[in-house]
Amino acid sequence: MDLQSLKKQEHQRRIKKGFMWAFFCAILWGLWYIPGTVVWVLNPFDAMYGEIAATNGDAVSLIVTAVLITAFNALTVILALMVWNGALGKFGEMKRTLKEFHPCSKWFFMASIFGGPIAILGSFIAMGFVGGAFAAVAALAYPVVGSILASKWYGEKISKRAFIGIAFIILGGITIFGGGLLTELGTGNVAWIGYIGGLMAAVGWGIEGAIAGKGLDIAEPDVGLTLRFLGENIIWWIIAVPLLAIFGFPMFKYALLAFEPLTILVLVFAGITFGFCYVTWYKSFPLIGVGRGQGIGNLYGLFAVIFIALFFGDIPSWTILVGGALCLIGSSVMFSEDTGQMESLRGE
Amino acid sequence: MAANRPIKFRILELCNKNGGAWNYEVVRQIQKEYNLKGDYQRDSINFDLIELASCSLLKDVEVRVDEEGMYKKGFLLHKYVITDFGKARAANACLMYV
Repeated sequence: MDLQSLKKQEHQRRIKKGFMWAFFCAILWGLWYIPGTVVWVLNPFDAMYGEIAATNGDAVSLIVTAVLITAFNALTVILALMVWNGALGKFGEMKRTLKEFHPCSKWFFMASIFGGPIAILGSFIAMGFVGGAFAAVAALAYPVVGSILASKWYGEKISKRAFIGIAFIILGGITIFGGGLLTELGTGNVAWIGYIGGLMAAVGWGIEGAIAGKGLDIAEPDVGLTLRFLGENIIWWIIAVPLLAIFGFPMFKYALLAFEPLTILVLVFAGITFGFCYVTWYKSFPLIGVGRGQGIGNLYGLFAVIFIALFFGDIPSWTILVGGALCLIGSSVMFSEDTGQMESLRGE
Repeated sequence: MAANRPIKFRILELCNKNGGAWNYEVVRQIQKEYNLKGDYQRDSINFDLIELASCSLLKDVEVRVDEEGMYKKGFLLHKYVITDFGKARAANACLMYV
């Protein structure tokens, strides 16, 4: 084989790997919806929701309970990531990266603010004030924010083809959740808070990706991601949970009650799926770019509906076939792009 | 300077010389400085180089087939040099003295 074709082959391998990571991200993200849904009906979160709802109403209760669930989610994620980094022998690199606050870890801590309290909380607010389908659809817009930011900020090249692929996947997602969306939009009395929540989700995750891309220029993805979750744990456990406790919500009472075998099992499953969905997400960015990584990652909407149907027997409506087909078209458009275009992900 | 800053910083430094540096040289140097032994660590460092090139902080200026098994026999060897974008990005991180 001559030099040029070897080079091309090596390059295609890199792109394939990047798409594979992003695809795994979508599957794991979809899988996360199983523990992510189940945990709400488990004690102590179920009892907590009931207690707060009785005094402060459903919407407030949903958000406060979401904070505790998200805090536990972040905790089990970082445990999973510690095992992962330990197995890869990356603790040394983690210490070195953490110490470089200005050039490196600063970006990951910023990513944790946008991905954590802004995007995840926004998503729960959208769920609480409008509905689950609306929250899912709103979040689907994040690759648009991410790819535009990455392109304007540090010149990431985003081809027309990749953008068309992203657009198809978003349309597919909207179709999948479409029926529920229409019913939800008609109901709800303080829906505008929910819309702001939806906006927070899309903008938060989009900005997180762009910021992470910037930090990952000069840091290892596995390490960078762990620092990002270190930041999120600090936000929830040192700031948000104590703050809500000061406002009189029974945060610590229910946090201590969470140590029940089944609850812990579900939380660990959530930590593993969410943690590794993020690992694969961050690993795809340096290889195929933030825009493509997020676009393929968006297939989580389709996988979530499929997994929920498989595990809970919630038969999705026929729109999933149309939406799934659109997602498939979008991914094919992206997968089949001429990789020569992606030799370097940024314009010089 | 060695071994107390993130590996990608050191890689950028090593590629910041006239004519660039071959991937096997960089990998060996890093393995020595950071005391990272074994094929897994070797491939992991090489992957850092691939990521840096993919993000346009490095670019390859020369490529040849590894006939002698300097890195991996039959695979490609790349000679990388830091790009202007890489220099600008590294300016506030690891190449402050440049």
